[in-house]
Amino acid sequence: MRNDSPFHRMTAPRALSRRDFLWQTGGGLGGVALASMLGRDAFALADDALAPAMPAVAPKAKRVVQLFMSGAASHLDLFDFKPDLIRYDGKPSDFGEKVEAFQDGLGPWLRPVWDFKPYGQCGKMLGETVAELGAHVDDIAFIHNVTSRSGVHSTATMLASTGFQLPGFPGAGCWVSYGLGSMNENLPTFVVLPDHRGMPSNGVKNWDSAFLPNQHSGTVIYPGAESPMADLHPHAAGRFVREASERDAQELLAHLNRTHAEARPDDARLDARIRSYELAARMQLSAPEAVDMKAEPEHVLRLYGLDRNPETWDKDINDTEESYVFAQKCLTARRLLERGVRFVQVWSGNDNSFPRRNWDSHEDIRRDHGPLSRGMARGAAALIADLKQRGMLEDTLVIWTTEFGRMPSSQSGKGRDHNPFVYTNWMCGGGIRGGVTHGESDQWGYKPLDRRNPTTTYDIHATMLHLLGIDHTKLTWRHNGADRRLTDVHGHVIAPIVA
Amino acid sequence: MWPVLALHLALTPPVDFEREIAPLFAAKCLACHGPNKQRSGFRLDVRSIALEGGEYSAPNIRPGDADASPLAHYIADADHDMAMPPKSGRTGARMTAEEVALIRRWIDEGAVWPDSASVAVADQRDWWSLEPIARPEVPGGGSNPIDGFVRARLQAAGLAMAPEADARTLCRRVYFDLTGLPPTPEEVDAFVADEDPAKYARLVDRLLASPRYGERWARHWLDVVHYADTHGYDKDKPREHAWPYRDYVIRALNADTPYPRFVQEQIAGDALFPGTRDGVEALGFIAAGPWDFIGHEEVPEEKIDGQFARHFDRDDMVGNALGTFASTTVQCAQCHDHKFDPIPQEDYYALQSVFAAVDRADKRFDPAPEVAAERSALGDLRTRLVEERRALDAAFAAAAGAELAGIDAGIARAERSGAAPEFGYHSEIAMDAAAAKWVQVDLGASHAFNTVVLLPCRDDYNGIGDGFGFPMEFRVESSDDAEFTRDVVTLARGTDAMLGTPRTAPVAIDTPGAMARFVRVTATTLAPRSGDFIFALAELQVIDAAARNLAEGQPVASLDSIEMGERWRRTNLTDGIAPALAAAPGGIDGLRARRDELRRRTETESTAQRRGEIERELAQAESAIAALPPQQTVYAGTVHTGAGAFRGTGANGGRPREIRVLARGQVTAPGAVVQPAALSVLDPLLPSRFELAADAPESARRTALAQWLTDPRNPLPWRSIVNRVWHYHFGRGIVDTPNDFGRMGGAPSHPELLDWLAATFRDDMGGSLKSLHRLIVTSAAYRQRADHADPVAESQDRDNRLLWRANARKLEAEALRDAVLAVSGSLDLSMGGPGYRDFVIEQPEHSPHYRYDLADPGDASTFRRSVYRFIVRSQMQPFMTALDCADPSQRVDRRNQSLSPNQALAYLNNGFMLTQAARFAERVRREAGDDAGAQAAHALRLALGRAATDDERVRLVDFTRTHGLENTCRVILNLNEFTFVD
Repeated sequence: MRNDSPFHRMTAPRALSRRDFLWQTGGGLGGVALASMLGRDAFALADDALAPAMPAVAPKAKRVVQLFMSGAASHLDLFDFKPDLIRYDGKPSDFGEKVEAFQDGLGPWLRPVWDFKPYGQCGKMLGETVAELGAHVDDIAFIHNVTSRSGVHSTATMLASTGFQLPGFPGAGCWVSYGLGSMNENLPTFVVLPDHRGMPSNGVKNWDSAFLPNQHSGTVIYPGAESPMADLHPHAAGRFVREASERDAQELLAHLNRTHAEARPDDARLDARIRSYELAARMQLSAPEAVDMKAEPEHVLRLYGLDRNPETWDKDINDTEESYVFAQKCLTARRLLERGVRFVQVWSGNDNSFPRRNWDSHEDIRRDHGPLSRGMARGAAALIADLKQRGMLEDTLVIWTTEFGRMPSSQSGKGRDHNPFVYTNWMCGGGIRGGVTHGESDQWGYKPLDRRNPTTTYDIHATMLHLLGIDHTKLTWRHNGADRRLTDVHGHVIAPIVA
Repeated sequence: MWPVLALHLALTPPVDFEREIAPLFAAKCLACHGPNKQRSGFRLDVRSIALEGGEYSAPNIRPGDADASPLAHYIADADHDMAMPPKSGRTGARMTAEEVALIRRWIDEGAVWPDSASVAVADQRDWWSLEPIARPEVPGGGSNPIDGFVRARLQAAGLAMAPEADARTLCRRVYFDLTGLPPTPEEVDAFVADEDPAKYARLVDRLLASPRYGERWARHWLDVVHYADTHGYDKDKPREHAWPYRDYVIRALNADTPYPRFVQEQIAGDALFPGTRDGVEALGFIAAGPWDFIGHEEVPEEKIDGQFARHFDRDDMVGNALGTFASTTVQCAQCHDHKFDPIPQEDYYALQSVFAAVDRADKRFDPAPEVAAERSALGDLRTRLVEERRALDAAFAAAAGAELAGIDAGIARAERSGAAPEFGYHSEIAMDAAAAKWVQVDLGASHAFNTVVLLPCRDDYNGIGDGFGFPMEFRVESSDDAEFTRDVVTLARGTDAMLGTPRTAPVAIDTPGAMARFVRVTATTLAPRSGDFIFALAELQVIDAAARNLAEGQPVASLDSIEMGERWRRTNLTDGIAPALAAAPGGIDGLRARRDELRRRTETESTAQRRGEIERELAQAESAIAALPPQQTVYAGTVHTGAGAFRGTGANGGRPREIRVLARGQVTAPGAVVQPAALSVLDPLLPSRFELAADAPESARRTALAQWLTDPRNPLPWRSIVNRVWHYHFGRGIVDTPNDFGRMGGAPSHPELLDWLAATFRDDMGGSLKSLHRLIVTSAAYRQRADHADPVAESQDRDNRLLWRANARKLEAEALRDAVLAVSGSLDLSMGGPGYRDFVIEQPEHSPHYRYDLADPGDASTFRRSVYRFIVRSQMQPFMTALDCADPSQRVDRRNQSLSPNQALAYLNNGFMLTQAARFAERVRREAGDDAGAQAAHALRLALGRAATDDERVRLVDFTRTHGLENTCRVILNLNEFTFVD
């Protein structure tokens, strides 16, 4: 048990039957995942599945929705107001040191492409395209001094999604699934809603379970697609499967499997597999309902701007499309969270290509960031409002992130190059102190103002786990000789933004 | 209650230094304050210094007063400037509150330190896996020594082995185990009916001789080395030539290549076995893992991100080599000394140095040694001839002087213009043709000039070709004001009618008397592209009276510019490169004619004659090379010669990059240079330092490592491989962490057996894996029943570490899929070659999207064994992933075994399973006829290798009659008995 045991530094005595069960299902190889999926019914555990398996700190949040802007969203044009860029707009940029930019985009200073205005009690300055978030700034904590370790999309994206620059590590949602288990075994614990155009940089490596058991992997759902989840219903090659045959097949299968298991009473895997088929059948009913937006009342659809369904989009990136698809994902996220999904990851932006279909605005901030940010703000603002009106915001953590920021200098006149040195994240709900700004960037938004004390992705992850009631140093899994964790060997809880 | 507590307090004994404090110091402090290092002049293993010494705050310990003792504060306060142990320290972990309290209590009690007490660092080398391999006595009698060891452990625990499994079960078990496929019903029946006592041994020999064996066990190996057919990361490009390595592994296992040679081929086969196909294709091992395409192709080595990419690339190579062959977690020493195992940080970088010359790239080679030899001889001849010609050219250049230099420069420029990617200046795209765009050149100062020449572009975008982006209407202006707000002179107005033939021909505009610093071309009506409009120009020349181009190399400004790499950028407007400059009349051909003429004038007749001979011989050599059988390609670890950001070390003759120790693993904090070496932990028994000549080729480093890894004195590789083989046979290794034999790994359940197997494999079996398999699967331990109940054993060893029964195995993704194909009668057993692709690639030109959902599961080209799957890293195959296939981004020594609803859904509904269920039904109908009873019995026999029970037959028949045979076959493929093999 020692080797692969979760929480092996903090294992408390548990019912013997359950521990034995884990052994038999692969000695921790599949262990806890299974426990979280199957544990409640099969073993009637004393611990409430709603509570963390091993609370290290008092939880403030039960679930997370992460909004991930793929391609590197500009902090300077959306959230981090820099008056000096207006004052020195067009003047040769001077960073006071040698700067190594990804595409050498060190043109003149470029002012924020949109005007900023103050919002809320806290007077937070926001760019014009994200004005819809203005209604919620008093619930949001902005972090303006986040810094990455890489200026390359793939590695920086993995760092933000898994805590490591290399592929082969579990996504943040996998760790949460592993740590907290399920609140509704009829749905996946961790759901990913990718950009409707395709996967971000690194594809599934941002959310697959790597060395953690497979059931902690993010389950990809495409809202509005014919079948929202892979293999939820029989593939077209199985036209012979009918509703009636399916019912009888499940019954026959269960009977034959039980007969087989009776002769092998010591092998708990056999019962577990029988149970997994029962759960699968229940998931077939629950999952389509969970993503069916037609069930939403008119006023909610209007809140998200989904009351009118445009038939077609323009070929080029545009406001209508971005607003619709992002809001659609946000509403789907809310429905999933409401039904007990632990972690929903919403992506805006596909991988890198031409013409741009993500936030990687080397050529023209206005052209790409305009539609993307207006769409994002519309959906995110609706999501926050909706969570709030349902009383869910207090225990739902909303995290807005991206892999890095963009340079205050211009590239090809109207674009901005990568800025891994400083960028913005924000968090809302779920135990976050609203209306605060933590950590400043310097006068240009080039590096943290206090260069010795930046915020890192590790800190964001540590804070997230803390709010979920988990000590980030204790949620570990031994793999190839190291006790791996989401925060590697780093990470501090950002106390000033915790309520 | 109270009295008990009080009693407890009163009886709390004083802290025992030797038992409680000394081990704490040893574990947390002595790495820096002990016999080897005395940071700040302080050490905690010598009483006098501990109590009185130290540079900063001595005395650090004040007996009787913990509060006044600096040491108590250093260990207690994480935020203290002197917080100890420091975060970056060797031991890393801070003391717990309990440990701090204990030390404080010890100080308060007077810091009692008996004279006899000693504080010693535990010898990190004192660890089972580093001990020389012993050859223990085999306990007891018995025909198979394995059983002697297993029985001895069981007996000691008062347990015994289960009886042998029945023939049918054993047959099925050993088929899956050795070949990854189920036996056919006929094979099972024949085995059961066979009365030869040696039938099982014969079966084992037959299966080991089957090519299916190599396919099965290669898949295990590919898990460990994290093989895939794409790079991973962003822009996850296909590796079209990765598969020769996969085929090498299958071939080597089927040929039973001795294990030491198998290891050596994969690390340094090119050097140790030159001229062999295996020696090259095996190097796919070095390149098997992920590769950061952008970090190499788009970021040069000079940039920090580029250095990180290459650092992580070598890190993967080092991890793969030491993890696979030595079960050592050397990567933990990347940022600091290994926290648990005796691996200093220097060792890790010394190992990086072994791979410092190689990159991951396609490597071309001749699989036939005689062809390789001929190609090499012809290549040498060609080199000699080229050398001789170069000598003649040098003599000619010396004699011909400046005139030749001028001509050659002209030719070079003309050649560049023809094929160069530096097209020109390209405006941003406008949606309206009337959106005026301008571009201008700064001559540096006001100059007089007579002509402005516009050189049009060529680009095949939208089939436009010549004259790409040339404006419909434009004007040319000059001014001494960069902003063109004053003194603007309009030199000309023009239209696209001025384009000549070809449409890349120069458009010359006479500008008599013009004088200015800036010349600007403004496109007033843009050129159409594809529903949008642009302005592009290859070159802008400003010619003065002396026919000099004043604009060449001068700065360019424009209203806007798309700035796409070297293809389109402002600076291209004055770089002297344009289609017309390559093809201009009297251009390159004229220059070449002048060059020939000059040579005729300069060279003697005999020289000219020799020149002719050289050209003829060169042509012969070239055609002989061209006539050789084509070379093959493998994606491998190799010295790479490339252009752009990914250059490799080829241009430096494969000279290894300099490797330095990186503080905290940061490329921005380089320390001392390291030399290539292996792990120092086995010194002096097995020296880690390589004895390499200063001018040794890079491959000598890999050769030295390969030899270190296969040295009979090295205990790690032998224990590692026998344990891996054991793991796959029993479902769990003797050490249950096959990739980690260090302190974070598991302890051997049968240490003597492990050593005996390692010694026997090394010394008696000559590294033959097939001999090892044979020994294991013929043991009684292996042949036990799995469905055996033994309540005593169950209560003592529920986990079955002692092997009192066999472990029923859950088929891995590949074995399950292959079994489905075999049972449905679809399995295509063709071996080798490029992998089958069960996906469709969308947008291959930029970031390929691998779409499994668009592939046809009925495509028969995908009905091959799963080891031949084209493995994508960034988009893992969803069905195989649901069944816990290995993640090729990590080195997998053990598969996960999950059981979850999403796995059940994949079994039930995936297109593969449903397609095969239908094909299975077709086969059953074909072979068993129309009778539902016969169909049910046959289907069950095909899938499970046994007859149906009465209950099964009745229910399956009933179900078939109601829902059809396809649904019945689907149910059978979903049975637990199909997935779990006893």
